[in-house]
Amino acid sequence: MELIINVNDIEYKLDVNPRMRLLDVLRENLGLTGAKEGCGEGECGACTIIMDGLAINSCMVLAHQARGKKIITVEALEQDGEMDRLQEAFINNGAVQCGYCTPGMLMSCKALLMNNPNPTDEEIKIAIEGNLCRCTGYIKIVRAVKEAIQNQ
Amino acid sequence: MKNDLKYVGKSIPIHDVKEKVSGKLKYAADMQLPGMLHGKLLLSSVAHGRIKKIDVSKAEALEGVVKIFTHENSPNTLYNSHKWFVGMEITKDERLFTDHVKFVGDRIAAVVAKDRFTAERAVNLIEIGYEELSVVVDPEEAINLEDYYIGQKKIESGSVHDVFSKASIIIEDSVETPKIHHAAMETHVCVASPGIHGDVTVWTPCQVVFQVRLIVAEVLGMPLNKVRAIKASMGGSFGGKGQPVLEPVCAFLAKAMNAPVKLQMDRTESIIGTRTRTATRGTIKTAVSEDGTILGRDIHMLVDTGAYYTNGDAVTMAMAKKAFRLYKIKDQRFVGDVVYTNTPIGGACRGYGSPQIHVLSEINMDNVARRLGMDPAELRLRNLVHPFDKDPINGPDLGNARAIDCVTEGMKVFDWKQKRLRPKTSGRIVRGVGMACATHGNGYHGGYQDFITMSLRMTEDGGVFLNSGIHDLGCGTVMTMKQIVAEVLDVEIDKILAPEGDTLVSPFDVAGTQASRVTFVCGSCAMKVAEQVKEKFIGCASKILQCSPEEVVMEAGEVWSSTSETVKYSYGKMITDIQSKFQDDISVSYTYTSPANPGVYAANFVEVEVDTLTGLVKVLDVLAVHDIGKAINPGFVEGQVQGAIQMGIGFALSEEIKVDRNGKISGDKFSKYHVINAPSMPDVKVLLIEEGEEHGPFGAKSIGEISTCAIAPAIVNAINAALDINITSLPVTPEKIIKALHEK
Repeated sequence: MELIINVNDIEYKLDVNPRMRLLDVLRENLGLTGAKEGCGEGECGACTIIMDGLAINSCMVLAHQARGKKIITVEALEQDGEMDRLQEAFINNGAVQCGYCTPGMLMSCKALLMNNPNPTDEEIKIAIEGNLCRCTGYIKIVRAVKEAIQNQ
Repeated sequence: MKNDLKYVGKSIPIHDVKEKVSGKLKYAADMQLPGMLHGKLLLSSVAHGRIKKIDVSKAEALEGVVKIFTHENSPNTLYNSHKWFVGMEITKDERLFTDHVKFVGDRIAAVVAKDRFTAERAVNLIEIGYEELSVVVDPEEAINLEDYYIGQKKIESGSVHDVFSKASIIIEDSVETPKIHHAAMETHVCVASPGIHGDVTVWTPCQVVFQVRLIVAEVLGMPLNKVRAIKASMGGSFGGKGQPVLEPVCAFLAKAMNAPVKLQMDRTESIIGTRTRTATRGTIKTAVSEDGTILGRDIHMLVDTGAYYTNGDAVTMAMAKKAFRLYKIKDQRFVGDVVYTNTPIGGACRGYGSPQIHVLSEINMDNVARRLGMDPAELRLRNLVHPFDKDPINGPDLGNARAIDCVTEGMKVFDWKQKRLRPKTSGRIVRGVGMACATHGNGYHGGYQDFITMSLRMTEDGGVFLNSGIHDLGCGTVMTMKQIVAEVLDVEIDKILAPEGDTLVSPFDVAGTQASRVTFVCGSCAMKVAEQVKEKFIGCASKILQCSPEEVVMEAGEVWSSTSETVKYSYGKMITDIQSKFQDDISVSYTYTSPANPGVYAANFVEVEVDTLTGLVKVLDVLAVHDIGKAINPGFVEGQVQGAIQMGIGFALSEEIKVDRNGKISGDKFSKYHVINAPSMPDVKVLLIEEGEEHGPFGAKSIGEISTCAIAPAIVNAINAALDINITSLPVTPEKIIKALHEK
C-alpha cells in the first residue's frame, strides 16, 4: 500500500505493508534506527517519536495511521550541526549511560518543551513516566531537562 | 594518595555520548548485513514435558521461510553457558534446541526467514506434541527430589553449635526473594555471519567476548580461532547478557544457512527465556549478647537456579562468602542447598547473590535491634568489620574496609537519629526510616583466575592506543580506562583510542565484565601498562634530550628536559624521532594478575511513606554512602548508584517473575512487570568515602554491583519500622502490607 509520510521535514512516498507499525517503517524503510523497540506494547517508551507535536510510542501506531502527519525523530534534533539544547544538557549532566532509552527519552522531553517551555519538576517526571530507564534512575535525566529549560 | 590529579576524579561524559544522543549509535538490532536472514525462536509453552512430535510443514510452506531447526537437525552438544574460561569444570545440561522442555520458555526451535515478520508468523505455525511431565516449581518440594536436588555448599568458621547451645538471645527470620528480570531496555539480540574460511563472526552486546567465543566454539565443535566474537554496543545488561544465550544459536544458524542471521528476542522472550536473578528462601538465626554483640550466626539458603544448572552453585558460594565479610562474627555457618525447578533459568544479576544474602541478613539485623531495643545503626556499628580485618574463612583480606565510616557519615548526613526518633503519626499515611549495609568484592582473586592483558602504544601524532578486551555496558568503562591512561601519561582524553572487545584483535582477558572487577583489575592493568610505556618513552626520550631519565618532564602532551626547558617536543615528534634514531616502538603488552580482592562497603538510608489504606509505598528519600576508595569518574559513580537504587526499589516493592504451580508465568511483559518509573523515583543522594585502596588504580574500588545490595533491605526495614510489622517476603506488595496490618 502506498504511504505518503512526512518525516523530519522530508516527504516520503513508500510502498508499505499495511501491517507494519510506524516504528518498523522508520527503522527498516527509512533507516532511522534512533527509535528503538524495547517492549512492543507501549510500556517502555524506547520507540518514542513526535507526531504532530505529541510524543507517541511508534510501536503502537500503524504506519498508515501516520499518513499526512508530521513526524519528528531523534535524528532531526540536531540542526545544521548544532545539537538541540536537550541533547547538550543530557551530555553535560551525565544523563546517558547505555543510551538505549535516550532517543525516546529525548523525544518525550522535546515534546514537553514544545508544548510547555517552563515545566515543573513534576511535569518533567510525568512527561517521561512512559519512558523506562534501567541505568540512570532518571535523576540526571530530570536534572538535564531542568538545565535545558534554564538555557532557553 | 595523589591529590593533584588532572583527569582522574573528573566527571567526563561516557565516550560515545554524542552518538547516543543523536541516535547514530548502532546497536546489534540496528545492524543490517547484505543477504541477512532473520531468526525467530519457538519457546516452550509447557513447563515440563517430552516433545513427541514436531510438525514444521505448515511453517515451512510459508513464503519467505528458508529453514526450520529443531533438536532433530541441530547439534546435541551439552554445554553450560556460565563457563567463561576453558579450564572450568562444570555440569553441562543445556543444548541449542531441546526435546525435553524444562520450563515455559525453553528453546524448541528456530525459524530462519527472509524477513522478521515471516519468521514471527512461521513460529506460530509449528505444531508441537508434548507428553507433559510433572511440574515442580516449589524449591521446598525440589529439595526432596533426586532429579531436582543439585547439592550443598557449606562454610563454617568457629563452632556455631557451641555458641548457640549457650546463647540466651537468638533471633530467627525466614526471608524470600523472587526471580526478577534485569530489564535492560535492549532485549537480547545477536548477529552472526559465516566467513569463507569455515569461520564465524558474532556481534553481540555481551559482557565477556572470550566467553562468547568459547561457548560458540564448544557448541559448534569449532577451534577457538575460527570464532570471532565482537562486543556490540550494549543497550543495558546488569548481568542479563553475561551468559551467552542467543550467541551459540545465532552462530549455528548462520553457519548452517551460510548467510548472516539476526536473532532478536521480544520482551516476553527476554523475561522468560534468558536469565533471572536467582530466587532464594533463607533462614537466619543470630545469637547476640544484651549489648548487641553478635555471638554467632547460622544461615541456610535454599537457592532456586531454575531449569538449568548455569551458575547455581557459584551464586550460592558468592552469597556464602559475603556473609563472612560484613560483620565480625567468629562463629558462623552458611549452608546453601541448590535445586532445579521448572521455572526460568537463574544466572548472573547485578550483585550476584549479594542482594539476596543482604536482604536476609539485614532484615534480621533490624529484628535483632528491635528485640534489644537498640538503634539498628548503632547495632551495626558495634559489629561491622574494621579496616584491614582478615576474612575469617581465609578469603582475601578485606583491605581498607570503610564500612563503619559509611554508617557514621550516613547517620550524620541523613539526620538518622532525629528522623528515627520522630513521633509516629497515627493517620492513614505513615512515615518511617530504615537503613541497611552491604558488602561486595573486587574481582575474582581468591576464587577464580583473574588476569588481563592490555597493550598500549604511543602513536606518531601524539595519540595513545590502548588495546584491550574491555566491554562498556553503559557504565563508562572505556572513559574510565582513558582517564587512568591520561593521568599516567598526561595526554588529552580525546587523543586516546580504547576500543572494546573483539577476540580477533583484543589481547586476552580471562573474565570480562563480571564480578565488579573492571575498575579494580582492568583499571589497574591500564595503569600499569601506561606506567611501563611511560618508562620506556622516558628512557628513549632521555637519550634524545641528552639528559638523565629523572630529568625528563612529560606534561600535557609535551616532553622536555628539566635542564633545558626551552627545547620542548610534542609526544608525536618525540615518538617519530625515537623511531628514526632507535628503530623502536613505544609500546608495551602487559599481563596483570590481580593480587587482591578487598571488600567494598555501602550503607543505604531511606525514608518511606506508606498508605495504610491501600498498602502503597512511596520511597521519599535515599542516601547511599559508599566506600569506593577513589572515584575515577564521580559522575559515573553517581549514575551507577542512582540506577542501582532504581533496580533495588523494584526488587523491594514491585518486581517479580511469578510462576504458578503449573509453571505458567505471569509478569512476562512490562505491562505486568512493574519497573519503577520517573514519578516513583525518589531523590538519591550519593556520599562517597574516598580513603583509597592499595591495589586499586589511584585507590579505586568497585561500585556497579555493591550499589544495588543494601537498598531493598533498607526499604523493607523502613516499612517494618513504620508499621511495626515484620514482612520478610519480597516484593513487599500492597497486598502483603494490608495482610500484615490485618494480622497485627
